[in-house]
Amino acid sequence: MMTIKGYLRENGAVGVRNHVLVLPLDDLSNAAAIGVSKLVNGVVSVPHPYGRLQFGRDLDLFFHILSGTGANPNVAGVIIIGIEDNWANKVADGIAKTGKPVEVFPIEGYGDLKTIERASRKAKEIVQYASEKQRTEVDISSIVMSVKCGESDTTSGLASNPSVGVVVDKMVDLGAVAMFGETSELTGAEDIVADKMANQELREKFLKIYKEYVDVIEREGVDLLGSQPTQGNIKGGLTTIEEKALGNIQKLGHRKVNCVLDYLDPLIREKGGTLCFVNTSSAAAEAVTLFAAKGSVLHLFTTGQGNIVGHPLIPVVKITGNPKTAKFMSEHIDVDVSDLLDLKISLEEAGERVFNYMVKVMNGRLTAAEVLHHEEFSPIKLYISA
Amino acid sequence: MPRGLIHSEKDDVCVATTDIKKGEEVLCAYLENNSAHVIVKSMDDIPLGHKIALRDIKQGEKLLKYGRPIGMATANISKGQHVHVHNLKSMRWGK
Repeated sequence: MMTIKGYLRENGAVGVRNHVLVLPLDDLSNAAAIGVSKLVNGVVSVPHPYGRLQFGRDLDLFFHILSGTGANPNVAGVIIIGIEDNWANKVADGIAKTGKPVEVFPIEGYGDLKTIERASRKAKEIVQYASEKQRTEVDISSIVMSVKCGESDTTSGLASNPSVGVVVDKMVDLGAVAMFGETSELTGAEDIVADKMANQELREKFLKIYKEYVDVIEREGVDLLGSQPTQGNIKGGLTTIEEKALGNIQKLGHRKVNCVLDYLDPLIREKGGTLCFVNTSSAAAEAVTLFAAKGSVLHLFTTGQGNIVGHPLIPVVKITGNPKTAKFMSEHIDVDVSDLLDLKISLEEAGERVFNYMVKVMNGRLTAAEVLHHEEFSPIKLYISA
Repeated sequence: MPRGLIHSEKDDVCVATTDIKKGEEVLCAYLENNSAHVIVKSMDDIPLGHKIALRDIKQGEKLLKYGRPIGMATANISKGQHVHVHNLKSMRWGK
């Protein structure tokens, strides 16, 4: 057993940050939400462009992401602002199940200024409530984390991704949850991922999700060559999607995948540790936003050429194996494992370095992305609007 | 100190871990077995992270990295040459 100092929430979930969130339900409510975040010290707002005239599975996913973001254990309490209150109430109901304070403020019938005033009074109360929450000793098995790479290059497959793989193995063995995704970037290694599934049912579910992604690409009549690998990937030496995917899956470690989540599926923890495939976009902010909505409280992000993404609510730890990126983009890099390329350290030592840093971040140390205001919040949208 | 790494003993390429100049002799170490290595003379400038061919590869041949095919040669590639988008393409996309 190993412990960290986290925030124990009303429903037993553990967070590593203690944010108060002002959640705009739709694009029109961003101004009022930002208004509250300017008036009240200690609140975070997450502006985004969606929430109007969506429908079907896309709308369900929108509710899933907004409710999940508010329900994230790094959040102590939530204010929701929406132009109409019916959809906002639906998101609030999802968050209220966690037992944390949540209140909705509609703009219609009030206007922005009155709404900002009403919401700010409540936000002030919730901030003071949250300020009394203390970090307490909790078992590390209560942690839900996620992994993803971005602006990858060949050093990702050689150094940073396998280092994260060591951490994923360790967290799963400790009984925690580790999530991975990037459906498109498994192309060329999808058979290896399928072979890592704990049973036939999960294998079929994973392959169905992967095939659905391939079908969308084919239906659109596009060829992803040129966008996968990206120009940044190619600059870093990656030549084909197969090469990128084989590097990508080094992050998954060596445990069986005992959980497969499609867009709308809630996380279910398995006894003895959970390694979970989540159907996500491969775009950095979209993927991290979805992982956080599924309950991830900390993200390990490996980068080759220097992706700088963060999230408003969960710490994103940047790890690189590229010595040039570590040098020239040092302000964005939390952990440098480029000495693996010279074989000066072992993979186990590199994994230990990432793990130890991650524990410091869980206990309160701020990541580079947090200090530099990288607060990308990017819900995934599936369809055109109605 | 190695200046290149090879994932698997079956692989056809070594990944440069420093910038390499044309004509330099590069020691490439195997990740699966640290005591094994090969030395290859580079025929091009190879930037950090890019691949050097470990054998002559014919146009149309599959090329292995991580012990798995990562693409097909679109031109004849000589041992020591730079392997990248100009002479290797995906088998999935770009058909």
